[in-house]
Amino acid sequence: MARMKFLCDAERCIECNGCVTACKNENEVPWGVNRRRVVTINDGVIGAEKSISVACMHCSDAPCMAVCPVDCFYRTSDGVVLHDKDLCIGCGYCFYACPFGAPQFPQAGAFGLRGKMDKCTFCAGGPEADKSDAEFKKYGRNRLAEGKLPACAEMCSTKALLGGDGDVIADIYRERVVRRGNKGAEAWGWGSAYGQPPKGGVAPAAPAGGKS
Amino acid sequence: MKNLSRLTGPLLLALAFSLPVSAQAPAPQAAPQAPAAVDLVKDQQKRTVDQPGNNAPVWREVRSGQPNYTSIPGREVGVLVQPQARFPGQDGMTTAGEAWRKYRNGPITFYGGWLVVAVMAIIAAIYFVMGPIKLHEPPTGRMIVRFTLAERWMHWIVAISFCVLGVSGLLMLFGKYVLLPVIGHTLFGWLTSLAKNLHNFVAPLFIAGLLVFIVMYIKDNLPEKGDLFWALNSWKFFKGEHLPAGRFNAGEKAWFWGGVVALCLIMTASGLVMLFPNLEAFELRATFQQASVVHAIAAVLVIGAGLGHIYLGTIGVEGAYGNMRDGVTDETWAKEHHELWYNEVKGAKRS
Repeated sequence: MARMKFLCDAERCIECNGCVTACKNENEVPWGVNRRRVVTINDGVIGAEKSISVACMHCSDAPCMAVCPVDCFYRTSDGVVLHDKDLCIGCGYCFYACPFGAPQFPQAGAFGLRGKMDKCTFCAGGPEADKSDAEFKKYGRNRLAEGKLPACAEMCSTKALLGGDGDVIADIYRERVVRRGNKGAEAWGWGSAYGQPPKGGVAPAAPAGGKS
Repeated sequence: MKNLSRLTGPLLLALAFSLPVSAQAPAPQAAPQAPAAVDLVKDQQKRTVDQPGNNAPVWREVRSGQPNYTSIPGREVGVLVQPQARFPGQDGMTTAGEAWRKYRNGPITFYGGWLVVAVMAIIAAIYFVMGPIKLHEPPTGRMIVRFTLAERWMHWIVAISFCVLGVSGLLMLFGKYVLLPVIGHTLFGWLTSLAKNLHNFVAPLFIAGLLVFIVMYIKDNLPEKGDLFWALNSWKFFKGEHLPAGRFNAGEKAWFWGGVVALCLIMTASGLVMLFPNLEAFELRATFQQASVVHAIAAVLVIGAGLGHIYLGTIGVEGAYGNMRDGVTDETWAKEHHELWYNEVKGAKRS
């Protein structure tokens, strides 16, 4: 089976927030909840600004799943991490544990108590019957069941955000890096990680036997 | 980040219980300090020219857990990856959420769970091997007032809410391993949902009751002469030997100061942090993680001590439960368990 993944190409993301809007629209996400967000690092600094779109990363060893007191998370055969809102108690533990801040909580009732957790489903719905009304109301569209990929990635105007089979999107990204011509395969080498010589200068010392 | 440490610092100092080392605190085994953010920005600018396509400095900024710009409203939405942190006893720094997960699912669940089981086993052993502590002489039928109506009300308000909080809390920490495999996801989810809501709404009652309780009982729980003797000989107590004590003996005082005052106030402080998830002032993930760790450790300790108190107040000591239910105790019981207090009461009556 395919292992579904998201990949955001920081060289391409233009911070248009189209993915955020696409997600909200496609899944009719509750008020106050954004399953996806775009974060800009070094905002406004010429030559250093990069934007990245982030949502649930559907981890292999998902921390949310590990800390849930009612074990409401499950993983589909596509590697998508989903949860059951009928079991969720709104304790917020998944939100404490998630490195990316993916789990969101609509406010429920007085004192700002947390409602049922809501997060990116990789457009794969929930435990209810595929494409059913109940599934749509709780989790949004089940695009995977319709044979489509997540709305955010499909909608991305620069194709910075890729979503789909990990092998396929990795190939697309690898080809991009090569075509960009920024030293091709060296983008992953010693020089990229630890610095390359300024034009005409001497390369920083590599360890004996180290491959560049 | 400054803001965060300023806010969580006093809380943790006040609790002085378990000091999670957050990202800012020096960690002896931490990796070499990442370069300051300004350097990373300049570094990135340089690389954009020298080595286009190499965004390593940007990714370092991402991993540092610093807040960045985003147009999405909400708390901490500008943080792409949680900052690095570790809890006491953990080997190295890792993402704060991961550190919390390992701490909660690891030592807290394991040692905490077995602590509660061990306390139950010890109590069972005491009960079945040594038996409950019985009165040596027959009751006289003459009753002395031991607890006023107000004292009893406060005791039972705190006691019943304590039990509700304790059972619902145990369900949320250990139910996944103990009860869920037995009753299944649907029923367990429903039950835990009920437990969580009970926990949230009973907590304020418990806190209010606790504060009044402490004020009401503090006077007679102040240390006095004889406490040390009682404490040093407390093992004889379980053998049913006579140890003179005031209105409350040293064991009861230890429960009052250690359990009711110290642990329950720690529970209150850490619990209040988690009770209001939308208070803009201090509700960051790091605060929640630290509060929940403090809350869970204090909880298993206070539940263990509470089980001991419940045992001694019910089946462990003959006549003890009736005292708190009816407010009066037999003279024989008073003399055998709280002789100094008994003499005081009788002396006051005579004069």
